[in-house]
Amino acid sequence: MSRKPQPANKQKPQGLDPGLVRELAKILDDTGLTEIEVEYGELRLRLARTLVAAPPPSHTHVVHSAPVPAALPSPVAAAPAIAPPAAAPEAETDYATHAGAVLSPMVGTAYLAANEDSAAFVKIGDKVTKGQTILLIEAMKTFNQIPATRDGTVKQILVGNADPVEFNQPLMIIE
Amino acid sequence: MFEKVLIANRGEIALRIHRACKEMGISTVAVHSTADSEAMHVRLADESVCIGPPPAAKSYLHIPAIIAAAEITGAQAIHPGYGFLSENAKFAEIVTQHGMTFIGPTADHIRLMGDKIAAKQAAIDTGMPVVPGSAGAITDEADAKKVGKKIGYPVLIKAAAGGGGRGMKVARSEDEVVEAYNTARSEAKAAFGNDEVYMEKYLTHPRHIEIQVVADSHGNVIHLGERDCSLQRRHQKVLEEAPSPALNTEDRARIGQITAEAIQKLGYLGVGTVEYLYEDGEFYFIEMNTRLQVEHPVTEMITGIDLVREQIRIADGAKLSVTQEDVKFNGHAIECRVNAENPATFRPSPGKITGYHPPGGLGVRLDSAIYAGYTIPPNYDSLIGKLIVHGRDRAECLMRLRRALNEMVITGVETTLPLFRDLMNEPDVINGDYSIHWLEKNLAAKAAAES
Repeated sequence: MSRKPQPANKQKPQGLDPGLVRELAKILDDTGLTEIEVEYGELRLRLARTLVAAPPPSHTHVVHSAPVPAALPSPVAAAPAIAPPAAAPEAETDYATHAGAVLSPMVGTAYLAANEDSAAFVKIGDKVTKGQTILLIEAMKTFNQIPATRDGTVKQILVGNADPVEFNQPLMIIE
Repeated sequence: MFEKVLIANRGEIALRIHRACKEMGISTVAVHSTADSEAMHVRLADESVCIGPPPAAKSYLHIPAIIAAAEITGAQAIHPGYGFLSENAKFAEIVTQHGMTFIGPTADHIRLMGDKIAAKQAAIDTGMPVVPGSAGAITDEADAKKVGKKIGYPVLIKAAAGGGGRGMKVARSEDEVVEAYNTARSEAKAAFGNDEVYMEKYLTHPRHIEIQVVADSHGNVIHLGERDCSLQRRHQKVLEEAPSPALNTEDRARIGQITAEAIQKLGYLGVGTVEYLYEDGEFYFIEMNTRLQVEHPVTEMITGIDLVREQIRIADGAKLSVTQEDVKFNGHAIECRVNAENPATFRPSPGKITGYHPPGGLGVRLDSAIYAGYTIPPNYDSLIGKLIVHGRDRAECLMRLRRALNEMVITGVETTLPLFRDLMNEPDVINGDYSIHWLEKNLAAKAAAES
């Protein structure tokens, strides 16, 4: 569940300091902790992340494991507390809404090269033109060529070879 | 037994299937459109895969996306639920071709029952009662009189090429049959360019009574009695109950046995429902649904048999967990289909549920995938929950249903809850005295009184 853009992030309760959240997120990252909770008078803030952080094993991309209690909105969340998954997946949230993101048009298995022996269609730093094949997605034994949606440079490749991908999942960043 | 099942559906039925799987120790894969990322079936499933954009044709009905989702998650079987791909023979075939199990009947049975003419013929061949009618087209006025006499009045004369009520005439006696025949022919000619008409018995006040059957791959078939789904609006069921207030034990045993034997002759597999019209002690086959039905909980409540569990076991090759002798009917159950609709105009009311209080207590079951804060997307049907109530007898069941309806709160969207509260005060509903036309007439009268 954690990798989805959470609408809750956009509707920050009034008076919430985004700088504070970022600072806490940094502490979370630096220390390797999974959860931080702070209280300032009326404000109570809890940051948590799931333990499946980068580099993702192939399944976490598509498959959201959903332990029930974590998936349900916690009753505390009604208060100023922010949605727990804010910290770690922040980067991924960015990818989904990133202007240069190529989103998967279908569910299937991603292939970065035409076959095991050939070179990848693209690598980081390559210049690509709109319409150029950047990877394949296989669904029901059919390999679908996924084209670059714009001219630019491949900045990031967000899926690994043979990774399962779902609809709308960010695949690459081209800028 | 399967280790992982993909649920190719959404809403309350996806949750219903998930529940059966979890109780069997099977892990679940939910699929969803982008409109359903926050849906309860997605939140509760062990894994979830986004398969497409909101329109069902590009997500829940898109076969390649569902197969791909099953393949990347390693699901061994697919449960189609109801609606969507549940009665799509091609889908059942493709699932099998990809080395997975379709939790449902064979593609051939889906196809057979999906073809109205072939289904009626199959019903006749296997001994199920059908609406008596002319074998083919009525040839002339004399033939019309002859066939009318044989069937018994009133009769309905219908265009062979027809539909939508055009080219349809009722004759209540032999005096009317010649005129009805000629009018139906002219209307049929004008509407469809074909004046061929046929005749069948006209039922004036039938009830909708359906028989639940379950068949395994070892040749065992049982029936789980009937559900009375006569309270309908525009052919959509609104409230269902079991047992039917109109049937006695003998009727039930007779039609149940006829149906189970027919299903055995068909070599059918899985759960299925044979729908009949019932009038003056006689049953007339309408169609067979080759899937789990929305109203299946009513049967579960009076038999204690988990139909989804049986479905999954049977798909895995297991034998039925009960024999016909083991099936005991216990008490009475009623289901109300709660829709996000205006209770008077039935205009859909999608939107955010701001408040939600489900009813509880002994004998109360609520199959629903909504929660406070959930936004009902406008892309799918308006069913948001099924309130199913069980009592030791019909009177207790009705009192309990009335109590549960008064307890239940959904705010933020309009729902059909007020309609059900009104129905609980209708003497005909309380007495179980209604046909398939009752609700439409009742609603029309209410609308007229208010205008």
